Amino acid sequence: MKILIIEDDAALRGELDVLLRNAGYETESVTDFAGAAEQMKHSSADLILLDINLPNVNGETLLQDYRRQSSTPIIMLTSRTAELDEVLSMSYGADDFITKPYNPTILLLRISAVLKRSARSGAAQSYREAEVSTVRGSLTRGSSEQILTKNEMIIFQLLLDRIGEIVTRDELMTALWDNDEFVNDNALSVNISRLRGKLAELGYPDAIETRKKQGYVLR
Amino acid sequence: MKLTDFLRDRLPAFLISAAAWILALIFLFAFHVPAEAVVIVSVIVLLGAAAAELWAFLRKRGYYDKLSSSLEQLDKKYLLSEMLEEPEFLDGRILHSAICEADKSMCEHIAEYRRESADFREYIELWVHEIKLPVAGLQLMCHNDGAQRYAEQLRRIDEYIENVLYYARSGSAEKDYIIKPVSLKRAFADIAVRNRCELQERGISLHTADLGAEVMTDGKWLEFMLGQLMSNSIKYGASEITVSAEELPDRTVLRFRDNGIGIPAGDLPYIFDKTFTGENGRTHTKSTGMGLYIVKKLCDRLGHSAEVSSVQGEFTEIALTFGKNELYKVE
Repeated sequence: MKILIIEDDAALRGELDVLLRNAGYETESVTDFAGAAEQMKHSSADLILLDINLPNVNGETLLQDYRRQSSTPIIMLTSRTAELDEVLSMSYGADDFITKPYNPTILLLRISAVLKRSARSGAAQSYREAEVSTVRGSLTRGSSEQILTKNEMIIFQLLLDRIGEIVTRDELMTALWDNDEFVNDNALSVNISRLRGKLAELGYPDAIETRKKQGYVLR
Repeated sequence: MKLTDFLRDRLPAFLISAAAWILALIFLFAFHVPAEAVVIVSVIVLLGAAAAELWAFLRKRGYYDKLSSSLEQLDKKYLLSEMLEEPEFLDGRILHSAICEADKSMCEHIAEYRRESADFREYIELWVHEIKLPVAGLQLMCHNDGAQRYAEQLRRIDEYIENVLYYARSGSAEKDYIIKPVSLKRAFADIAVRNRCELQERGISLHTADLGAEVMTDGKWLEFMLGQLMSNSIKYGASEITVSAEELPDRTVLRFRDNGIGIPAGDLPYIFDKTFTGENGRTHTKSTGMGLYIVKKLCDRLGHSAEVSSVQGEFTEIALTFGKNELYKVE
């Protein structure tokens, strides 16, 4: 997955680049803002992070022009806290809108959510032989079905989106809180062990591996 | 303008005329002018003088009555000069031009201040926008380098920056908000995530109830207000924060309740006042007394209301009331 970064603050751009690379994305940055529109057009990126205040050009204008020809998801970034910018950006076709300074974990969650939305429009997700239904909140393998609670589903989704990679407790916690589930540390542990139990019932006892002091990996 | 007042005002002039008349009478009698002639001349002069005075009175009354009635009706008294036509008589003209000139000079004066304050506000907005870039940069660096220790301080810096921004916004005459349906659930979740580390560190639990409602407000402003309330709850020893909404036919009430140290009854009426810190502000933690003041001002500008109830040592509850104006719903 490749992300195009259009941000004029060099320090911020560099850190964004590191953040996204660490999270396993490929990145590309725009440094010549006069040619930003061209670079956007020819980029093979799967998602674009676009700052609103750019030298010589306005991000909202770029967005508006770009939308006429492509539907690649775009997340707007801005340090102006104004509802107007958000309303405008969304009406021009942005997929999300995030104000700086952003919580990096949330930024990553939003990016993966937007990517997921654009990748599978309704296509069913699966884990090994099991079918994942977010609508019913269930995992089905053959004739056996396990119903997941909302919390378990959020956790499982995040692990599944990044299958084979380490997902930190901090990320899991942020994702839960972002979905109005204000759980504490203990509750998270309980949820994970319940999820493990349900996966074991389906025949995957070793599905979630704990990495000490790092997080969890779904195998 | 009353006739009696006018006549009393003219009294010195009448006395001078009367003295001149008595002198004239003495001369008339000295020259043996017939008594009938004296009476006739007296009557003519008296009638003429009375007519002249009446004319002068009516002419002035027209102008001054309009002036005082306009002044009384005007909500903005400084607009007086716009309401008056220039009178015909000399002293009226002098007064009129004096009023107009004074008014103009005051308008220029005010315009200058207004410009200055608008410039200042514009600069604050720009400054906030600029300072957020390095803050955002630092925040990413903290994350990338795994230096979570600094993240909390950065969050505090960001909170103070927001305070300045919204303080500037709360006092300006410009309409820089957008009223649209905002999900209470979403707004509260955003604030909760932002404060998650501090909440968990202090073991504060969050409970929500019936936040499914949408209210007509500006999303960003609402988030700022909720952030302020949460920051107060964290500051003043809460271990449990309960946020609930109640939908009534004409309004939605959002209750933000914590079980912190509470507010002394004597301080309650003043907690929305500017720079009021009260007992808690002195004894507990440094407080600027600006947070709730800004919240209240933003509420006023958006047409919401904010109320507080508290029992010291038990709880503090801030209730925000959002109107359900049907007008807003036309989209």
